[in-house]
Amino acid sequence: MSSVEIQNVTKSFGSKKAVDDLSLSIPKGSLYGFIGPNGSGKTTTIRMILGIIRPESGSIRVFGQVNDSSLQKRIGYLPEERGLYKKMKVADIIRFLGQLKETPNLDDKIDYWLKRFELEDWKNKKVDMLSKGMSQKVQFICSVISDPELLILDEPFSGLDPVNLNLMQDVIIELQKKTGVTIIFSTHDMGVAEAMCDRIFMIYNGKKVLDGTLNEIQGQYGLNTLKIRLAGEERILSSEIHAKHEVRDLGNEQLIKLTETTDAHALIAEIAQIHSIERAEIIRPKLHDIFVDIAQPSQADTESIHPGENHA
Amino acid sequence: MRNIYLIAKREYLATVQSKAFIISLFMIPIFMLGSIFVPVLLKDNVDLTDKRYVILDGTGQLGEALIEAAEQRNEREVYNDDNKQIQPAYKLEIRDIILDGSNQQKLNLSDEVRSRELSGFVEIPAYVISEDSNAGSNQTGVRYYASNSSIDDFRWWLNHEINQQIRKHHLTNLGYEADDLSYIFRHHGVETMELVKADSDGIADEAQKVNELIAFGVPVGLMMLMFAMTMMGASPLMNSVMEEKSQNIVETLLCSATPFEFLFGKILGGVAISLTGSAFYMGGILFVMTNMGFMGYISLSIIPWFIFYQIFAIILVGTSMATIGAMCNDAKESQNFVFPALLPLMIPLFLITPVIREPMSQFAMVASLIPPFTPMLMMFRQNLIDGIPLWQPIAGVTGMILYSVFAVWLGSRIFRMTILTKGKTPSLLTVIKWGLRG
Repeated sequence: MSSVEIQNVTKSFGSKKAVDDLSLSIPKGSLYGFIGPNGSGKTTTIRMILGIIRPESGSIRVFGQVNDSSLQKRIGYLPEERGLYKKMKVADIIRFLGQLKETPNLDDKIDYWLKRFELEDWKNKKVDMLSKGMSQKVQFICSVISDPELLILDEPFSGLDPVNLNLMQDVIIELQKKTGVTIIFSTHDMGVAEAMCDRIFMIYNGKKVLDGTLNEIQGQYGLNTLKIRLAGEERILSSEIHAKHEVRDLGNEQLIKLTETTDAHALIAEIAQIHSIERAEIIRPKLHDIFVDIAQPSQADTESIHPGENHA
Repeated sequence: MRNIYLIAKREYLATVQSKAFIISLFMIPIFMLGSIFVPVLLKDNVDLTDKRYVILDGTGQLGEALIEAAEQRNEREVYNDDNKQIQPAYKLEIRDIILDGSNQQKLNLSDEVRSRELSGFVEIPAYVISEDSNAGSNQTGVRYYASNSSIDDFRWWLNHEINQQIRKHHLTNLGYEADDLSYIFRHHGVETMELVKADSDGIADEAQKVNELIAFGVPVGLMMLMFAMTMMGASPLMNSVMEEKSQNIVETLLCSATPFEFLFGKILGGVAISLTGSAFYMGGILFVMTNMGFMGYISLSIIPWFIFYQIFAIILVGTSMATIGAMCNDAKESQNFVFPALLPLMIPLFLITPVIREPMSQFAMVASLIPPFTPMLMMFRQNLIDGIPLWQPIAGVTGMILYSVFAVWLGSRIFRMTILTKGKTPSLLTVIKWGLRG
């Protein structure tokens, strides 16, 4: 069963299509990663799921219903651009946002979450006294305080130090495992997406370009890479290899991108005739490489900020 | 409704608990009363040095009379009962008119004024005492020359006194002793009275004298109070929304409340803030008026109307202000839109004079039935005179309600489109398009 069902959704800002005929199904209880370059349509998609903006065409169903304000209390949201009332006390702002979502047992939940994030001592302090990391944790608490069935986190880890990043990751995984909440999070950190997400969706220029589990994506889209370590100071030159391959020098190791027709073993044998190979390994493509492969050709085109979408 | 209430409550508490609000509650009356009482307190704080004036007397007769009148005035008004000088003495001297066909004499006198040897000079043409009614019809009358001749006190004294002296001159010429006929010069004021009412037995009561200051001051004061309280409740909404937008609070709120709930909650917060201010000031005004015995001049039945009108004034102006806040990224950008948003408050102030003169006129009635002007003008008329037909306030309120619903509907559509928009502020045309299309 899907928590979110997006069908043929299009949304434009002026002449720019921010989202173009997008269809996506987000299974209940999954941890779904949204990736894509800046301005590709991630935040627009998220805002449409939330019902903050409306699609021009197509439909979005959340929990099987067309999204309207009645569903808002079942959804938690951490926007990428964080903001809290600076003059309010920490507990008061969490309470205010919790009340908007009609959260029961609010005081107990506030105490629980502040303790979970080691912020008990800041409960009655004003928000403007918090550090950036603390504010981010408070804002995260605001998004989960209502025990949402769907949690949408836009860049939840940006700006966090490694300790708090680990803590946040633990909390997210714990939430998913314990409560079965469906989690959508967007990130630019491909390592995090690989490590945490059940499924990954990539949007580029408003169009879906990847969607599936990491294995599926690697299998469908990615081409394997040959990682070679030569003895001593030797280096492979592109011109030395019979077939045309891109060679990337990482210092101690070199990466040779394989094509669909490349016979990796024949290539290793070819290199072995010229150089002394210390180690050779065929590796599956990393999400990072797939992302770069898709986004790099016209990265400049994607930098413009759409109206109504300061960062997507 | 729950979300509207929660947002309104937060808006209200965030404002009324701030030091700025509490300070402004006290500062507004201090400034308003200060602007009234400081000039009154300082009215005796004038330059007490003698004022010297030269009379160029073309009649050859009025100059001496004016000197005598000035001396009588000096004896009467320069010192108070405690023998403390409170006014400057007027010292008049007559100089012969030099008839050389030029303005040289007047230039020389003007230079004396500039060098502060004189305070001014007066030119009295001969014809002013002529018995021919048409004499001097093509000429200007008495001329008074000074650095600020149009507003200084001597002008008002001279204006009155010279006409008195001309009348005395004519009476004397007719053979009367002017000093024996002082009753001719006695001034009789017109007293303003309320209409006569019948008591419970149907017998006509004694008419009440109208306290002009109170009769005029109460409606104007209430109108100004509504203006100030509407500004207090509605105006901060623009900055508040702009702040929520720039500090990225709004996106968090919009995943918990609809744009309409957000907008209307904020407006109701503004209503509550201004009603708090009004309650504070109304309480103060009623307390003062009760203690000063002026309660008879206020009809308490206007208070519910005042509250009702004020609520709608804030809804109308507050919707515009919050929408402007959603459209703009900073205060500078918002300036272009603020003036039109304040017109519902400004135009009624411009219309006060014709409405005061003829509160029952067709113009006053139509103006007060235009929904954006109804809160201030209808309340003003109801307070100014008795006898406004009940259908007029009812029609005004109905129009206001319909117009408010339309304004909030339109505002929330624009609000939805603009609140998350960053970068260039949309043009007015685009905004109207968004409002109509949604």
